Amino acid sequence: MDCKEIRDLVRERWGEELPAEAREHMSKCAGCEVYWRNARFLQAGFRALAEETPPDASLGFASRLVRRLQEWEATGARSEFFETVGRRFVYATLALTLALLLSLALPTTGPVRGVAGADFLGLQSHNQASQPDVVGGEIGDTHELNLGGPTK
Amino acid sequence: MARSEFDVSQEVEFIRRVQKGDGEAFGLLVEKYQQRIFSIVFHLVRRRDEVEDLAQEIFFKAFRAIRSYNFQSSFATWLSRIAVNHCYDYLRKVRASHLSYYSEMTEESAHEVERKAESPPPQGLDHGESLALRDFVGRLLERAPEDDRLILTLKELQDYSVEEIADLLKLKTSTVKVRLHRARKRMLEDLERWRQEGK
Repeated sequence: MDCKEIRDLVRERWGEELPAEAREHMSKCAGCEVYWRNARFLQAGFRALAEETPPDASLGFASRLVRRLQEWEATGARSEFFETVGRRFVYATLALTLALLLSLALPTTGPVRGVAGADFLGLQSHNQASQPDVVGGEIGDTHELNLGGPTK
Repeated sequence: MARSEFDVSQEVEFIRRVQKGDGEAFGLLVEKYQQRIFSIVFHLVRRRDEVEDLAQEIFFKAFRAIRSYNFQSSFATWLSRIAVNHCYDYLRKVRASHLSYYSEMTEESAHEVERKAESPPPQGLDHGESLALRDFVGRLLERAPEDDRLILTLKELQDYSVEEIADLLKLKTSTVKVRLHRARKRMLEDLERWRQEGK
């Protein structure tokens, strides 16, 4: 057995006796012997810790807890409900205000309201198209795409 | 018969009553399990003054979650799981203050404690030496990563079996074994580092 195997064994057989082969190795290997002693030291420490008694619950712990729970049910749960509902109401109001502000801030006419790229494509809007042609054309004659080709 | 002594069928009945909102029935369950929860909290957190507050928070959480309890695991396991998770969160939260608490002890005094604890051998320690050993290993445990601390505490201090730990932490038994092995390895390395620093 090599040192790695011995140390693995020490951790696996935590608190148990090691086989003769391992003990023989440790009698010649100071490093593994220290490792095994350290493991025993920790085991003893854990045992001492386990013996430490936890504090007792103070007198009336359970009844105090129940009283608190009943108070919480009566007020806390209700206020928690209103808190949740209230929070949702605030978020909804904020979202609505933001939407309103945005709609007011945006211009009612201009490129933002128009069809994107309409100018580039030469598209004339219905508004423009609905104006009587100064040359004398009929209403609706002009709303067709002009892709830069020769005009009629 | 004490109020906290009742059999499994009575316990099921109490749990069903609590699930319908009966606080008084919950009080009986608290009385039955308070010592178990105090023990888990105390060994995991190692702060005597915090135990009752944490236990109260755990029972509070359990009460709020009891409708989700479906009787698949025992009530004791379900409740202990809440306690372990709560303590784990607490430990992560107070990690920084734990480290500063540890550093309050000078290196010299810590090594003195260790020397006392090591010699004579652990099984032959008198009361004072046993206390020193306990404090020293307790401090080593406190500065271990939370996962190691959790698994070592459950195994070494609470005396849970690997299977019980797996059930509690919802892990495979093979995973628990691996984690336990690693935690022991890291503790031994930490102890060795401590010894080396003292030389």
